[in-house]
Amino acid sequence: MLQHSVGILIRPQQTWSQLASQSEGEHAKLLVYPLLLATLPALAWFWGTTHVGWSVGAGESVTRLTPDSARLISFLFYAGMVACIAAIGYFVHWMADTYGADSSINKGIMLASICATPLFFTGMVGFYPILWLDMLVGVAAISWSVYLLYLGIPIVMDIPESRGFLFASAVVAIALVIFVCLLVATVMLWEWGAMPAFTD
Amino acid sequence: MSESTTIDDQTTYNYHVIRQFAIMTVVWGIVGMFIGVWIAAELAWPALNLDLPWTSFGRLRPLHTNAVIFAFGGCALFATSYYIVQRTCQTRLISDRLAAFTFWGWQAVIVSAAITLPLGMTSTKEYAELEWPIDVLIAIVWVAYAYVFFGTIAKRKTSHIYVANWFYGAFIITVAVLHLVNSAAFPVTLTKSYSMYAGAVDAMVQWWYGHNAVGFFLTAGFLGMMYYFVPKQAERPVYSYRLSIVHFWALVSVYIWAGPHHLHYTALPDWAQSLGMIMSLILLAPSWGGMINGIMTLSGAWDKLRSDPILRFLVVSLSFYGMSTFEGPMMAIKTVNSLSHYTDWTIGHVHSGALGWVAMISIGSLYHLIPRLFGKEQMHSVALINVHFWMSTIGTVLYIASMWVNGIMQGLMWRAYNEDGTLTYSFIESVVASHPGYIVRMLGGAIFLSGMLLMAYNVYMTTRRTDQNVSAVGAVAAH
Repeated sequence: MLQHSVGILIRPQQTWSQLASQSEGEHAKLLVYPLLLATLPALAWFWGTTHVGWSVGAGESVTRLTPDSARLISFLFYAGMVACIAAIGYFVHWMADTYGADSSINKGIMLASICATPLFFTGMVGFYPILWLDMLVGVAAISWSVYLLYLGIPIVMDIPESRGFLFASAVVAIALVIFVCLLVATVMLWEWGAMPAFTD
Repeated sequence: MSESTTIDDQTTYNYHVIRQFAIMTVVWGIVGMFIGVWIAAELAWPALNLDLPWTSFGRLRPLHTNAVIFAFGGCALFATSYYIVQRTCQTRLISDRLAAFTFWGWQAVIVSAAITLPLGMTSTKEYAELEWPIDVLIAIVWVAYAYVFFGTIAKRKTSHIYVANWFYGAFIITVAVLHLVNSAAFPVTLTKSYSMYAGAVDAMVQWWYGHNAVGFFLTAGFLGMMYYFVPKQAERPVYSYRLSIVHFWALVSVYIWAGPHHLHYTALPDWAQSLGMIMSLILLAPSWGGMINGIMTLSGAWDKLRSDPILRFLVVSLSFYGMSTFEGPMMAIKTVNSLSHYTDWTIGHVHSGALGWVAMISIGSLYHLIPRLFGKEQMHSVALINVHFWMSTIGTVLYIASMWVNGIMQGLMWRAYNEDGTLTYSFIESVVASHPGYIVRMLGGAIFLSGMLLMAYNVYMTTRRTDQNVSAVGAVAAH
């Protein structure tokens, strides 16, 4: 499993081909992949927000979260990441038919989670939260993930590149909608029980 | 289907006024977006307001919104509606002279706006800032527009009224009603007036207008565009004609109720807020009806998408339309709105609609339209259209992503408080934290604007007189 995470970053083309040739059973095993990798950002941010803290602008005061509050929020963050991967994976499978590809839910989720690899790793910037740095790294990681998506869809789904391009674009559109859901969920949760408790 | 215009078309139909509006769409698009990029830069580096009243954010911002909505969007709607109504009714516009009046009248409105807004003359109503003499001119031009459009439909040579015309018709009628009701005012001097309404009623009327300016000006009209140019460019019939009729009636009957979501947690009665929220949620269904119809119409044209960047513009515009019409109802939920309102999230939402949907479907439609209007096979450079497509997409994504981050961050910072009940952050700390996002937003906007400059070059090269179209244009002149 680990070889995929490194492989997709340094040899994306080969790794996608390798994954494409795997059986349905092996795809099912890879469902553990997002469950494991999503712990990286969750733990990093837990540590960063409780121990290191952050400051805004030139202010010297450092803000932290209380461990109780951070534990709950990190867990919700973890659950959110996994839910988004599962949802995107489901939609990849759901749309596959339209683009003339053979698919299963496991294959869809596998595709979504492998694409998210750069996001999982760079999520570890949370160990030391600096706002502008996190944003830069985040933008770079998202671009990387989108690149992996456009590269991987035609290979994994075994369809011509031109159709894969459309498929991948449709997945991006779905991902944007799911991102909006994530924003809405954040607001709702903040309102209903998961409000962070700040401390100096 | 993919015919270029013949001399016959050029004389049968009034293409002259469409050419004028089409060119001005590009011109005003560049002007409006340039002002947008400028004020985006002012937010990142405030010194750029030059310490002059005329170039301050507060005066240039309404100029930006008026220029992109009414000048760029308006010209695109005039051009495409005059084209579609003639082609689908197989008849010439009912009056060339009135059509010309709508063109010059509308340009006069835009120029007046460009003069009065920087001078600080404003009714203070968002998206209806223009003072009463200009409002009167708008009303006159709009009545002429309605006469030309519906008059042309009345003398059509086909028995059927194509669905695109329904959307344009709804847009023209509703905008007339909205403008007349919301702009009703007591004039004090030539340049100052006060709204006819007071207090919460004024706010409600304003947002009934404001949201339906989005719903009818920026949605219904552009759906009309979608229903003509998407099937044309894809060379496929509309996926479901029945769906287009059903979602038309659903859209026009639901949109009109959604305005109060702009006034959550204000002095507006609570029941009115909740009604606005419910109607906004229901609105998702007709909005997605339109998106699905467009996407499914395109769905059989896979092979074309590879080689046709115009089709890519249309596909991506529909995706952004779907995304932003999902986001809108979510933001209308009172709980969400209590955080998102007054933050950059709103600005991001508006621009996913404005750049992603309105601008991109207009650009795609213009790339289809302009060669036909000027008697050419296709645009001067298809490769440049492709570059433009990527610049628009990347620019839009940078814009909305930075505003999402800024918006949610501002909302959360403003409501964060410490254990002792004091606020965790002062307002200015949220401004400081927004700075990187403002820079990214300005870059995104600048990339989008640069794409428009490429378009202007491409349009110029396409419309230059060559031997091929001298005869066509000459024939029109002789006619």
